[in-house]
Amino acid sequence: MADKARGSSDLYKETLLAGLWRENPVFRLLLGMCPTLAVTAAVKPALTMGCCVIFVLLCSNIIVSLMRNLLKPHLRILMFTLTIATFVTIADLFLRAYFPDMSETLGPYVPLIIVNCIIICRAEACASKNGLAVSIIDAVGMGVGFTGTLCVLAGVREVLATGMIFEVPVMPGAFVPWAAMGMPVGAFITLGLMLGLVNLTSKGRA
Amino acid sequence: MDKVRHFVEQSWLLIVSAFFFGLLLAGTDYALAPTIRQNRIDKLNRLAKGLLAEAEHFIEVEEKIEIESGKGKSKEEITIYKAVGEGEQCVGWSFSVGGPGFQGTIYLVVGVDAGFEKLAGYRVLSSTETPGFGDKIKYDYFREQFEGAPVGELKLVSTGKPEKIDSEIVAISGATISSEAVVAIMNDSVLQVKERMRKKGLIDNGR
Repeated sequence: MADKARGSSDLYKETLLAGLWRENPVFRLLLGMCPTLAVTAAVKPALTMGCCVIFVLLCSNIIVSLMRNLLKPHLRILMFTLTIATFVTIADLFLRAYFPDMSETLGPYVPLIIVNCIIICRAEACASKNGLAVSIIDAVGMGVGFTGTLCVLAGVREVLATGMIFEVPVMPGAFVPWAAMGMPVGAFITLGLMLGLVNLTSKGRA
Repeated sequence: MDKVRHFVEQSWLLIVSAFFFGLLLAGTDYALAPTIRQNRIDKLNRLAKGLLAEAEHFIEVEEKIEIESGKGKSKEEITIYKAVGEGEQCVGWSFSVGGPGFQGTIYLVVGVDAGFEKLAGYRVLSSTETPGFGDKIKYDYFREQFEGAPVGELKLVSTGKPEKIDSEIVAISGATISSEAVVAIMNDSVLQVKERMRKKGLIDNGR
């Protein structure tokens, strides 16, 4: 009995850590590249996008896990998309109602969460094959891993592009803002360098 | 009968889920739609009030104005707001118009005087212009050139005195397309609004 409990605890820990680092959706699986590149010009929109993804991922994993035994194999993608689209629309309406400025900043990228590969990937790879507890932990791990990555990327870009973070100046007075870092070119350069750094640190450990 | 049974067996979960999710979305929309609508009105009023300082409140004109957009390819319905000042007098008009920018559509809130002769200016309601370049259409030094400019054929020039208020608008350096887009909106959509309002008798008759 104790072994079974320890086994479950290890599985939960493994699942959580997988999303945070070992199978990090951005740095390791290279999924969700569209929002990663598009909304990381500043930390606030990146954090909001991350929270929306956590909400959608959590809700879709719960629903898919609960209905996993009823799913017909050839209709499963349709069911995943229907579930994801519902919760994305709810997140979008919530932002438009209570955070209208942020909703405007994020523009079409909130509705585009519907086609975010991370969510459909977790529904297919985890929630449709596992119980509720594992699916929830997987959603939290993957969601927090994605949000963390977005915030790190956005933090670097915001500091270099404006000399500020969360609109608070953090760079010395002599710092010249590097406007290109706030533009798409800055997103590609920062992401490329970070991916290189991650590969370098984990070299030989694969 | 077998076909129907097969259909139901295969798709019952999809049908039930679609119904359940539809209800969930309808409920969410019902709960949040008034707040979303109010947010939009608040923003428009906030921007319009910044343009027409004498206005105490805005009244939505019941008659909608239809203008052509996309070089006559489509029609757009514009809601006009009458700016009312002290003594319930009309002090100007405000409305939102859009046009193609460098990356996407630029939507502006435009203010004009009571006779629709001079522009009170504009504010950017939404745009996706390049940060640091095209989004300078939001900056005061470019916007102020329109404040008091005649409603008519505005002309974009590359050099000149931005502080001089006339029909010449000095383009933003490095963002000519965005500057052109704003001038085009003023020359095309705003003029169309003026013509339609005149036809409907909303201006030029002392109202």
